[in-house]
Amino acid sequence: MEMIAEVKQWLEEGTVDLFIGYKMAMGHPLPHCFVKEKIEEVDDLIIGTSRYALEKIATHITAAKPDIKIGLLARDCNQRALAVLYIWNQLKPDQIRTVNVNCCPSNLKEHGDCSYLEPETAGFFKQRVGVNNTHRPRDIEKYDQPERLSRWMYEFQKCIKCYGCRNICPVCFCQECSLQHPELVGTGALPPEVPIFHLVRAVHMAGRCIDCGLCEDACPVDIPLRLLYRKVNEIVVNVFNYETGSGADQPPFSILGDQVTLEPKPLQALEN
Amino acid sequence: MKVKFIPSICSYCGTGCGVLFEVIDGKINSTLPMKTHPVNEGKLCIKGWNLHEHVNSFMRLKQPLVKTFGRFIKTDWDEAIRLTADRFREIIEKYGPDAVGVLVSAKITNEENYLAQKFARAVIGTNNVDHCARL
Amino acid sequence: MTIKRITFLQELLAFMGLEGRLHLEWISSAEAQKFVRVITDFTEKIRMLGPNPLSGCNGIANAAELETVGGFGKSQSIQQKRLANSY
Repeated sequence: MEMIAEVKQWLEEGTVDLFIGYKMAMGHPLPHCFVKEKIEEVDDLIIGTSRYALEKIATHITAAKPDIKIGLLARDCNQRALAVLYIWNQLKPDQIRTVNVNCCPSNLKEHGDCSYLEPETAGFFKQRVGVNNTHRPRDIEKYDQPERLSRWMYEFQKCIKCYGCRNICPVCFCQECSLQHPELVGTGALPPEVPIFHLVRAVHMAGRCIDCGLCEDACPVDIPLRLLYRKVNEIVVNVFNYETGSGADQPPFSILGDQVTLEPKPLQALEN
Repeated sequence: MKVKFIPSICSYCGTGCGVLFEVIDGKINSTLPMKTHPVNEGKLCIKGWNLHEHVNSFMRLKQPLVKTFGRFIKTDWDEAIRLTADRFREIIEKYGPDAVGVLVSAKITNEENYLAQKFARAVIGTNNVDHCARL
Repeated sequence: MTIKRITFLQELLAFMGLEGRLHLEWISSAEAQKFVRVITDFTEKIRMLGPNPLSGCNGIANAAELETVGGFGKSQSIQQKRLANSY
């Protein structure tokens, strides 16, 4: 396949030091790191049916060794995530090469750009009292205010504060997360302060969320996070005229003044 | 720079969720859920997300400690094992094996829990094994 | 910039069901009468909206009193009260 030949060529010529793609291991498609020393493994490179946040792994590797050149297998969502990470100085564009693949085919195109899972149709109870994950923001706006509140509170009360949504998010990179800060939303207390926990996360996702859907996949209680962050990005487009993940201009949520002042990684090596 | 992805099973609780360790240069950097695992299908609880923390934690004991005169003194393995075995033997000879009880915990791995109950039953010879969740 | 951020927060809260509880106004320290007028109007507006349905710790204790959909509200609120008591 062309993809395999191109990756082999990159590794041999030294265009990339390592390439992260997928490989079948023990019957599961898992991410794998292909290197020049074992170039025959590239024959087993597959696109894979499951998605992992490969760009987040790339940020970890770059933090350990800043000059390394990494190749990635990038779907549409990965490409948007990389665009956001470049803007926020977490990765350097000249150190990343991507092999762009099409999104996995799905006959349910309504649920976002790519959905390798059939979106779970909400059960009977959830449809009556909660928020359906497959809805769009305009469907929520059909409810009136008290009903919206009770539906969202039903969803947020299920949260077990596993931090899965934050841990797996490819554009979440803060060293000090507000969701763990003892003076803001603290750790430990269960149930979490609904809806503060989720609204804080939603506000932090403004200008960063690229609608990859990994958060909703990682949520053990199926809170419709993707719907919430989609609404947040709609507001950002309407109010700030900024479309996340598209261009290379600075986001409107920079910290002080007009420049993004987050220091580029690596701030710390692998001590953590 | 060696980057490896090692699939494994979570060592807390009895559910057995599939996890994926991201290992950079021989050190576990982070934990990811395994998306195609039939038990958890890509989701983890907070204990599973932090499996890598206790491996490289700075709070991890590196040497056995013996409490002498109210303070913990560092010692070596032979000394510690000999001391513990002698004390256990004394107690068992004097009061019988049921004088010893073993408490296991949800904060240690499943493998260590198994070893603890095996030690209690086969070595000490007592049935007094219990878990912190039952207290 | 501030207007945009407050608008953003107002729209997000409206999406959640807590509309109309956030207001932005620029008042100089010399405009005392405007200050009084704005505060009085807003207090009246909030009083008409009623108490915040999420007041109280954690929101769970009061979520039971929310008007829930479909009339099953009673059985769910009993469950939530039980939950709230056990914490």
